[in-house]
Amino acid sequence: MSEPLVSIRDVTVRFGGIVALSGVSLDIAAGSIQAVIGPNGAGKSTLLNVITGLYRASEGTISFAGQRIDGAPPHLVSRKGIARTFQNTELFGEMSAAENVMVGSDRHHAYGLASAAVHGGGYRLMEEQARREAEDLLALVGLEGQANMAAAALPFGGQRRLEIARALAARPRLLLLDEPAAGLRAAEVEDLVRILRRLRDERGLTILVIDHVMALVMAISDRISVLNFGRKIADGEPAEVRKAPEVIRAYLGEKAAHAFGA
Amino acid sequence: MTARIVFGIVGLALFFAAPYLLPEFRLFQICLIAATALVVLGQIVVTGFAGQISLAQAAFAGLGGYGPAILAATWGLPLWLGIPLTALIVGAGGFVLGQLTLRVSGHYLALATLAFTAIVQLALIHSDAVTGGAAGMAVPSFSIFGITLSKGGELYYLVLPVTVVLFLLTGNVMRSRFGRGLAALRQSETAAEAMGLNVLRYKAAAFAASGFLGAIGGAMLALLSTYLDPTQFGITQSIYYLAIAVVGGMLSPVTIVLSSAIFVFIPEWLQAFQSYLGLVFALLLLGFIVLRPDGLASLRLSGLRLNLLRSGRGTE
Repeated sequence: MSEPLVSIRDVTVRFGGIVALSGVSLDIAAGSIQAVIGPNGAGKSTLLNVITGLYRASEGTISFAGQRIDGAPPHLVSRKGIARTFQNTELFGEMSAAENVMVGSDRHHAYGLASAAVHGGGYRLMEEQARREAEDLLALVGLEGQANMAAAALPFGGQRRLEIARALAARPRLLLLDEPAAGLRAAEVEDLVRILRRLRDERGLTILVIDHVMALVMAISDRISVLNFGRKIADGEPAEVRKAPEVIRAYLGEKAAHAFGA
Repeated sequence: MTARIVFGIVGLALFFAAPYLLPEFRLFQICLIAATALVVLGQIVVTGFAGQISLAQAAFAGLGGYGPAILAATWGLPLWLGIPLTALIVGAGGFVLGQLTLRVSGHYLALATLAFTAIVQLALIHSDAVTGGAAGMAVPSFSIFGITLSKGGELYYLVLPVTVVLFLLTGNVMRSRFGRGLAALRQSETAAEAMGLNVLRYKAAAFAASGFLGAIGGAMLALLSTYLDPTQFGITQSIYYLAIAVVGGMLSPVTIVLSSAIFVFIPEWLQAFQSYLGLVFALLLLGFIVLRPDGLASLRLSGLRLNLLRSGRGTE
């Protein structure tokens, strides 16, 4: 395997006396889909938040594309090429779907304050480009024709997909998805699976996904890591992980692990 | 586009016709409304668009008024130079004040900016040597290209164009990626950061803009009143500007002109009840907060959208 895009080494996150993550190491290969699963409170969201700079690692290092990113503030982590979605969607509710996406891409369509103040040529050109790119991304996630709808007015599944479009607008190399399938209907999960595969196969995007929905995780993941009580208890391809006794124990309890012959 | 041209021509015609149609006193009132609206424009950039509660507007206006007068009295700097120079310095001061938002937000930010206003007022009162202390100081008259503008009817040709231009420029910026950034951080700071926005820089820039606009507005108010009195720039006055912003609608530059007009005219309409003026303002504010939290901007007159410049509300 070549150099991993993301390399997490012995990361520990403590909040006062509570250890949310304990010595977790994880490599994510470029162009792959990596899933992290685990019971509630296992530290999955903490892992995302520490990668994106929302939380600070008490110990350990995180490298992205060969550079240390641990300790960097969220906006700088984002600018290095890491975009994310949120478990409880964090959309800009009053803005239209297109404007939400444009916030993600504005950095790539920059114009100066003077041009903005007079709505000059630079402003018009860049706004036009940003708008078109936003509409393309909305189409990619299946929200075509809803560009002018207020984000808060979209149905729940639409809001989840809008978050993905907004994250993509930042033109990331790594996309972090925090429970993207939670609360979605089966048909919507299938759509999501298709979108994520396309992103990996056509755009070469690396994706880290956290979810409980096994239909999604098993369908798309190249590798799966399992967290329990802040520790990584298993790591491997979906077929291996499914059979690992530690995983069955964590999910179903001690008796079940024996029943499955582990 | 054509509608905009027609609008512009009608506006220009009204602008040049008004001095022939209206008495001097009305022109003075129009200037007063414009200058007040300019101060409040600074308020809605920081509190409306960026969502940061600030009670520093009276301090910005005070500094904007005193600055050019002091520069003129001390170094003989003409006002046409002193006013923009002071506004830039006050804007820079606003940027520094905005760094507070790194540590405090919400009620605490309101208190911190309130303290800033109190400190500035105390400084104005106790710097007798340059500001004339509690007695105040006179504002020299404004002259440019050998023309002196001193009365309301003459200042009209300065105050109104400055106000209109700053409103247009500010409205444009709010409908650009910068306004979008402010709207984003107002609605979800976490998501804005995750999208690569330097949230602290944006908030500080909003404070800088509110300082700049407040200072220009304050300078215009000083020209109109011709005398600076430190009691005009205290906490009460800051709350007055916030009240105008609330009544107008926090995201709507157009309707704050309307609410500025209401607040300027009320003392005239209620001359018989002068001593109850504070009560009337308070009731007006309370009424809007309870019944119309989005201010005048949320009222629609015969289908006309008053909130023309509202940005970041994806309902168009």
